[in-house]
Amino acid sequence: MKWLLLTSIALSMFGGFRRPILLAGIAGELIYLALRGIDLGRLPLIGPHDTLVFFSASIALMALPFLFQPTLKDNDMFRWGTGFMVALFALFSLIFPVFNMPLPPILNTLWFELHVALAFFAYALFGLGAILGCIFLSRGQKQILDLQYKAALVGYSFFSASMVSGGIWGYYAWGTYWLWTPKELWTSILWIFYSFYLHLRLKGSGSERTVAWGGVLGFIITLFTYLGVSILMKSSHSF
Amino acid sequence: MFAVIYQRFASLTFGLWLMGSVMLCMAAGSFVQGEGSAINDLPLFAWLREVPFKESWWLWLTLGALGLLVLNTILCSIESLRQKWQRGSFVIRIAPQVMHLGFLLIVVAHLQSAIWSNKQTMPLQEGSKISFSDGHRLQLVNIQASYDKRGMPVAMSAGLRYPVGSSVQDTTISPNHPLFYQGIGIYLKDVALEPSPAALIEIHEEPGAGLALVGALLFTLANLVLLGKHSTAQRGQK
Repeated sequence: MKWLLLTSIALSMFGGFRRPILLAGIAGELIYLALRGIDLGRLPLIGPHDTLVFFSASIALMALPFLFQPTLKDNDMFRWGTGFMVALFALFSLIFPVFNMPLPPILNTLWFELHVALAFFAYALFGLGAILGCIFLSRGQKQILDLQYKAALVGYSFFSASMVSGGIWGYYAWGTYWLWTPKELWTSILWIFYSFYLHLRLKGSGSERTVAWGGVLGFIITLFTYLGVSILMKSSHSF
Repeated sequence: MFAVIYQRFASLTFGLWLMGSVMLCMAAGSFVQGEGSAINDLPLFAWLREVPFKESWWLWLTLGALGLLVLNTILCSIESLRQKWQRGSFVIRIAPQVMHLGFLLIVVAHLQSAIWSNKQTMPLQEGSKISFSDGHRLQLVNIQASYDKRGMPVAMSAGLRYPVGSSVQDTTISPNHPLFYQGIGIYLKDVALEPSPAALIEIHEEPGAGLALVGALLFTLANLVLLGKHSTAQRGQK
C-alpha cells in the first residue's frame, strides 16, 4: 500500500499547478488511510506513522471546503501551501515503521478515538490558518484574514471537544480527568493560545497583522504540542 | 481611583496579558518538572506544601495568574452584559458569557480536586479484600487476562464482589470500565497470572469531576451555538 501513499504525496506536492491534481492527491491519501483502517479494524491512531498520516489526511480533508471558497478558488499560494503541508507530514510518516499491533486495552474505547481524531482535525485547521496567515501577510487581502479566523474558530471548537472527550476518557481510564504531564500542559497552552487569538480579534482592525502572525505562531505551538513534546520530553501521554 | 482599578482589571488587554502569563508559566513548568515528580500522586495543594519552592515556583505563578484571569473573566462578563444588554441577538450576547461560565466552573472543579482528591494504588492477590472506612469490604473474586501471540495483553478484567444493603453483588472491572462504589472509583490498572493471579488496583476520589463535566459541556454547547450563529450571519451577509 506504500505506493498509494507515495503517489498521493507526489500529487499533493505538485497540487499547486492545478486544483484537480491536489484533489487527486487528497483522494489517494484518504483511500490509503481507509485501507489502513480496514486492515487494522479500527481508526489508525497509534504510533508515529499512523498519526502522521492521519494528521496529513486531516489537513487534506479540512482543506476541501477552503479550496472551493470563492476567495481561494484561484489562489495558487493556498494550493501550493496546502499541498506542501499535506505532502510534508505524509513524507515524514515514512521515516517511521508501520505497526500492526492490537489496541492496548486502555486505548480500546470510543472516547480515545474521538479525543485523538478531534485533536487532529483541530491541528489541521490550525495548520490551514497558518497558511492563510502567510498569504495575508504577503498579499494583505482582508477576506483571507476572515478565513483564517474561521479556520481558527472551527479548529478551536474541535479542540475544545477533543479536550472534553479526553477528560472523560481519562476519568474512565485513569480515575482523573487531568494529569500534570508535559503533554497536558502543552495541550492547555495551545487551548489558551487560541482563546488568546480569538480574543485578540476583538481589539479591532489595528491588530490585523498581529492576528495573522498569531495564526502562524499557533501552528508552531501546535507542532510542538504534537511532535515536540513526544520527541523532546518524557511524558506518559505521547504518540 | 477605584473606577480606574476596576477598568484595568476588567479590560481585554489585561486578560490577554494574563493568558500570556499563564501560557509562559505552564511552558516553564513543562521543562522544569522533574522526572518522577509526585505531582500526580497527591492532591495538588498537598504536593505544593511538600515540595521545595524551587520545584514548584512555576505552579505558584500559574495559580496566581490563573486567579487573576478568573477575576478578569468575571469582570469582563459583567461589563459585556451591562454594555450590550440592549443590543443585538440574545443568543450572541449570552453564548460567550456561558463559555466564560464553563471556564470558571472548570477552574472551580480543579480547585475542588486540588484540595480533596485522593488516590491509592494496591497490588492484590485473587481472593483478597479491600476494606473501607465504613466497615464495608470489597472482594477481588477472580482475575482474567488474554494475550496475543507476541505476549501483548489484549484484554484483562477482574471480578469484584461488594455489599449492597444486606445482599452482595458481583461485577467485573476492566480498563476503561471502573466500578463506582460510594463515590469512589475502583480501577483495574494491570494484572499478572503468574506466579499466582494478582491485580494492580487503583482507588480514586475525584470530587471535581462532576463540576468539570458540567463546565465543559456548558462551554462546548455555547461554543457550538456561537459557531452556528457565526455561520448563519456569514451566509446572511452573502
